[in-house]
Amino acid sequence: MAARRKRSKQTKAQREFVSEAEEILDRLCTDLAELQSQREEGDGDVDPDVVNSAFRSAHSLKGLAGMVGHDAMAELAHRLEDVLDGVRMSRVGLDSPALPIVDQIIALSTELLASGIESSGSDVERVAEVLARLDVALTDSPVDESKPEPELDIDPSMLAALTEYEEHRLGENVRKGRHLSLVETNFELASFEEGLSELSTAIREVGEVVSTLPSPGAAPESQLRFSLLAATTVAADQLLERLDFPDTTVRIVLEGSGPDVVSEQEAGRAEVSESVPLAPEASDFESLKSVSDSVRVDIRKLDELMTLVGELVIVRGSVAAIANRLTHDGATQRIGAELAKVHKQLDRKLKELQTGVLEVRMVPLRQVFQKLSRVARRLERDLGKRVELDFVGGDTELDKLIVEELVDPLVHLIRNAIDHAIEPADERHAAGKPEVGAISVVASQRGNHVVIEIRDDGRGIDASVVRQHAEASGLIAAETVLSDKEVLSLVFEPGFSTRSEVSETSGRGVGMDVVRSNVTRLGGMVDLDSRVGRGTVTTLTLPITLAIVQALLVETGGQRFAIPLNSVLETLLVDEASIQRSEGRELLNLRGEPLPLRRLSDEFGLESVPSEGGLCAVVLGLGELRMGLLVDALIGQQDAVIKPIQGPVRQVRGIAGATEIGDEGAVLVLDVSSFVEDTVRRKDAA
Amino acid sequence: MSEATPSTNGLAADHEREPENWEALARRAARRSGEEADQQELVEFLTCDLAGAPYALPVDRVREIVRMRPLTSVPRTPDWLLGVITLRGEVVQVLDLRMCLGLPVSDLGRRTRIVVLHAEDGEVSGLLVDGVRSVLRTDESAICASSLTDVGAVSEMCRNGDEFVSIVDLDHVLESHTDA
Amino acid sequence: MHRILIVEDSETMRSMLVATLEELEGPIKSDQAASGFEALRLLPRERYDLIVTDINMPDINGLELVSFVKRNEQYATVPVIIVSTEGSERDRDKGLELGADAYLVKPFDPDELYDVATSLLARSRQGA
Repeated sequence: MAARRKRSKQTKAQREFVSEAEEILDRLCTDLAELQSQREEGDGDVDPDVVNSAFRSAHSLKGLAGMVGHDAMAELAHRLEDVLDGVRMSRVGLDSPALPIVDQIIALSTELLASGIESSGSDVERVAEVLARLDVALTDSPVDESKPEPELDIDPSMLAALTEYEEHRLGENVRKGRHLSLVETNFELASFEEGLSELSTAIREVGEVVSTLPSPGAAPESQLRFSLLAATTVAADQLLERLDFPDTTVRIVLEGSGPDVVSEQEAGRAEVSESVPLAPEASDFESLKSVSDSVRVDIRKLDELMTLVGELVIVRGSVAAIANRLTHDGATQRIGAELAKVHKQLDRKLKELQTGVLEVRMVPLRQVFQKLSRVARRLERDLGKRVELDFVGGDTELDKLIVEELVDPLVHLIRNAIDHAIEPADERHAAGKPEVGAISVVASQRGNHVVIEIRDDGRGIDASVVRQHAEASGLIAAETVLSDKEVLSLVFEPGFSTRSEVSETSGRGVGMDVVRSNVTRLGGMVDLDSRVGRGTVTTLTLPITLAIVQALLVETGGQRFAIPLNSVLETLLVDEASIQRSEGRELLNLRGEPLPLRRLSDEFGLESVPSEGGLCAVVLGLGELRMGLLVDALIGQQDAVIKPIQGPVRQVRGIAGATEIGDEGAVLVLDVSSFVEDTVRRKDAA
Repeated sequence: MSEATPSTNGLAADHEREPENWEALARRAARRSGEEADQQELVEFLTCDLAGAPYALPVDRVREIVRMRPLTSVPRTPDWLLGVITLRGEVVQVLDLRMCLGLPVSDLGRRTRIVVLHAEDGEVSGLLVDGVRSVLRTDESAICASSLTDVGAVSEMCRNGDEFVSIVDLDHVLESHTDA
Repeated sequence: MHRILIVEDSETMRSMLVATLEELEGPIKSDQAASGFEALRLLPRERYDLIVTDINMPDINGLELVSFVKRNEQYATVPVIIVSTEGSERDRDKGLELGADAYLVKPFDPDELYDVATSLLARSRQGA
């Protein structure tokens, strides 16, 4: 009868197979090494349980490999199982020449596993080769004849449930003249494993547990009866004494005799061989060491972890707030103090966790550099220019997310440099420059930020040309006064670079606005500096990590905003009188230096509601630039996880995202770099 | 010819159903409509109340429905962008669907809901509606062009028994409301 | 609803057994035991309609488990399928002697397991 069956899923099993097979091979290795050392130190007598364990590993591996269709592995495992069965059934001695080949088979198996389920032609050859050698080795070693079964007074149901191996062990023990006893006891269903384990361990101290048979207990619902067939070096009555267990009986099955009944002292050997010896032959076992010290991690898992840590941090903030409230209320002050103490511990641990997770997310820029290299080589070919790309600071690390977002802008900048900045060979020749254009990407860490510079020795950007185009496309009015640097940064304006012809003369191509918006979205800044005829430097300044930041909570016009603390230099109380006006702008005299000011209320069209003391100025710094942001009040400090704002409406300038604060919902996070740029660079107000 | 069979599932009466049930309902409906669409040309809509009239939203774009929650307003944005909400860690813009369709705006009430959608590119956004009714299941033959002209986001209608329900073209709404 | 107890120490093998058995007709609930001991703990808790076990396991082996099941009034009528690696004819004979209803050799053919399980379940339904 062939009932219908749906197709089953194999790939999950294949993945699990590799993982489990690795574990099995590991165990097998350990067991064999153990046997080796036991053999060397003892009188040739080894722990049969270790042999059996090795056999079972090979057996499992065979079954596994067969199930997923890894034929080469299945074959190897099958032969391994045969050999090890031979060893456990005493048909193959431990001194057999087959044993070293077993080690080689394990090594080969590990290699095969590393290359997946499919075996190559050469793999198949190697398998055949090593198995052929195994065959030779096995024919050389004498095969013991199987012993006849001894007549024993054992419960037939127990005998009936003995596997072939257990029968063999029984025979062996009888041959060695051990005492055979039947140990019976009752255990509670809920806890039998522990008890049984203790009992077995106690028996193993003086011998071997040949078989364990469960039976229904006196009260089948809650009890189990166990019958253990024990082969020991001590007689039954002594065994009973050793096994100090309630409700246990020991019945003599066969009295021991003969030379192998050892004294109590030697019985302690079982304990000694607990420690696992190192793998003997380094060369044979090379391939068995784990391939690397690192673990591959799915970036999504890292993101999840990071989000989780971020949320934990926010929750911790709530705990702090509660502790605070409790402490300030007389009735709950003591509890509040306790909570505050615990919160401190939590905070410390959480910071460690945070650092740890952040570190896991950090990757060196080198991988991006490699990609840029490849892009450059392709462009050289396509554009017919010769360029030498130089990378410095590949070890500089950044959050993986940032690095991923950086790839596109950097590729873009390199492409621009090769395409537009680096002149064709004849032009360079005429200008006295080497034919090969030089582009260098230099990354370095500066405090809380990473700075990446892309330098080229190309034709540079002519500010006056940029100016012309900007005026022509209506970006700026003819009368606007701008410094050369400010003119250059017009290149990043969305309106500027949509006209492709501009690229030829201005030295920069399409898409610079995208570069800047990508970078500012990451919380960074991009900057241009250029000398006509000499070259250009594009500087990207990026925060080291996006994930969790400390934020300063401020309020203006009744609404709260968060400012990433790493850009906040200081905060001051300012009264209107001390604000100076000059050329339509507001400034503050900060220790002798002019600090440009901007009112958050003006920026966002809100009604300022200053407190009695006046306004607060939050001094923001980015690179070397400084400005003061005027707000109504400072609320406090807060951990924040900056999340992007999703939705159809385009991002408002000045807002980097939002963070969640307790039950209050979202708090908008300010984009410091856009404020700083706008204020310091004298951009016209929108 | 098959008749349009609105399946109200007895939901019309239960306006206070928990968000989770709606989510499950919408998801199941979306999945079903994806699988069966080719075979039976079934389409499913979430009917909502806007300014007192029913409107239909294609269910496959609906991710979930949530109640009103704290809205953070975003400066220098048009009125129809009510603000942003947090939704399980995500920060999502909420648009006033009534304003987007040029309908009169009433105060927020007990039945006000935010319909959370995914756009074509996967971005999530929210639309504020006066209330949510039920999932309407019908087939393509029940859809016809709107009787009104020049209505942009509402160019089609769906016959539901004797009623005609305007279908909201979500893509049109989202695409035409992008400027801050 | 059929309840199946799967006793097998290899995780990969277990999931393959589960995958095949859960395709059986009708609602199926499968419980997994990674060792004989775990099986001993699970048995009294549910009324199982089928037991599928390996032989080669740590603590008690499959034969001992089958022996226990068949000597226990409560479970004696539950059909047992042994799925084990070939190699010992003796073990196979013993398994069947102890009362196992079927013995499949690893690597098992999923269709064969499916068919055997289906017929055993049908039989026990009729018998009960």
